[in-house]
Amino acid sequence: MRKSFPADDLARDERFNRVSQAERVQDPRLGGSGTSSRAKLTPALRSAPDRARSLMHGIFTGEIQALEGAGRTCFDFEIGAGEGEVPFELKLDMARQCWDEARHCEISVMLADHMGTELGEFTENTLLYEAACNTDPVLRLTGVNRALEGLAIDVFTTMKDFGTIAGDPVLEFCEDWMLADEVTHVKMGSDWLRNLTAGDRDRLDRALEFQRVVDKLFSFNGLRGEDDESPIQLTRRFREMAGFTDEEIDDIAELSREAAAS
Amino acid sequence: MTTVNVTPSDFTMVEFRVEDIVAVAERVIMQADLSGFDQLNIDIDEASPLARASIKSVDPLTLAVEGGAFEDTRRPRQLSEDRTADTIGRYVLKATDRINGGFSDAPSDDDLTLAQSVAWDVYCVGRLVKAGFKGQRKRRVYQFRNRHGFTDAADAAFDELWTASGLTWTELETISAAACEASGLS
Repeated sequence: MRKSFPADDLARDERFNRVSQAERVQDPRLGGSGTSSRAKLTPALRSAPDRARSLMHGIFTGEIQALEGAGRTCFDFEIGAGEGEVPFELKLDMARQCWDEARHCEISVMLADHMGTELGEFTENTLLYEAACNTDPVLRLTGVNRALEGLAIDVFTTMKDFGTIAGDPVLEFCEDWMLADEVTHVKMGSDWLRNLTAGDRDRLDRALEFQRVVDKLFSFNGLRGEDDESPIQLTRRFREMAGFTDEEIDDIAELSREAAAS
Repeated sequence: MTTVNVTPSDFTMVEFRVEDIVAVAERVIMQADLSGFDQLNIDIDEASPLARASIKSVDPLTLAVEGGAFEDTRRPRQLSEDRTADTIGRYVLKATDRINGGFSDAPSDDDLTLAQSVAWDVYCVGRLVKAGFKGQRKRRVYQFRNRHGFTDAADAAFDELWTASGLTWTELETISAAACEASGLS
């Protein structure tokens, strides 16, 4: 079985439609009068139910890719102490994450049905999986577990609050359960980052820079932030629980502010 | 016979074709028996991927539509015939309700509450489904629950509106308000 599986070859049936990042960026409507709504996602918005459906479908495809990425990390690296090798315990963590992500996929499928969304109703972007293709396991875990699973913490918190305000017990409950797992996944990323780069400042710097690049790619043009009006709330408390330092959280908040201003 | 006009005449930001939109509009008018207007103008803001739409005027009937309302959510910038029929159908039905009587006491579109607006949408889409169009029933249930509560009372009100015909504004508003009250939202 080959290693470092390309995103183009991920298995999807005919229901799914993939749109590349290049296609998204080249959409001539971006920057025009009709850029995506920057209003905070609350039930009071007229478009809130459909925006929530679209966001949850994005989370669903993200869960599939997170499962695929964690599975690849279990398989792609040999056990050992070299740069391209990983401890057996890291593989165990990734196996546990596969179990979680598979469960999240099943929850997301049922949640989609609850929200009236068909599987494949919205497009899929494989940027998450692409971040899981880095050949250095430390960069892979930093990009996926700390940057993208960190984003998942923010999105799940936002959607849990949405469910609470809307009085939707199904959405609120599902988000709360998945959120608990995401905090664990981010903590795994934080722990392994420190473990594998102990005494190797250069590798730590490269990993943190990769995380910064991924964070920037997924900053949603500044839609994530700490302001009350930010559509996606940067969740400081859960990030602290997941091993982020105050300085690291400040850095993400600053990235979002920069993206919003650009 | 209703004459359908679409602006702009050419699209540069999305891959829509005027003749496709006109064909969908004519099918909606024929199948849903909505021929009460001499003219239907559809003004599309192709620069917007958002999905808002509104009635700009009733005489002549003119709809203002953001391009996202006609867009295929599976294929960005491509026209979705189903979403186009849904949007045109809902707004032509609402305009028809207003001119045919029974809805003369309805607030203007801008003054409708979210619950009233969604209830009217459900009543419209239910009629479109009966006329042979797709209605995304579960999506409409979710929208309705968001405005009327995630309760059995709200679901019963949805079913009543979805299967109804010949409602007046007072009847529609009573169903919506009763669902909100039963869900503790009033």
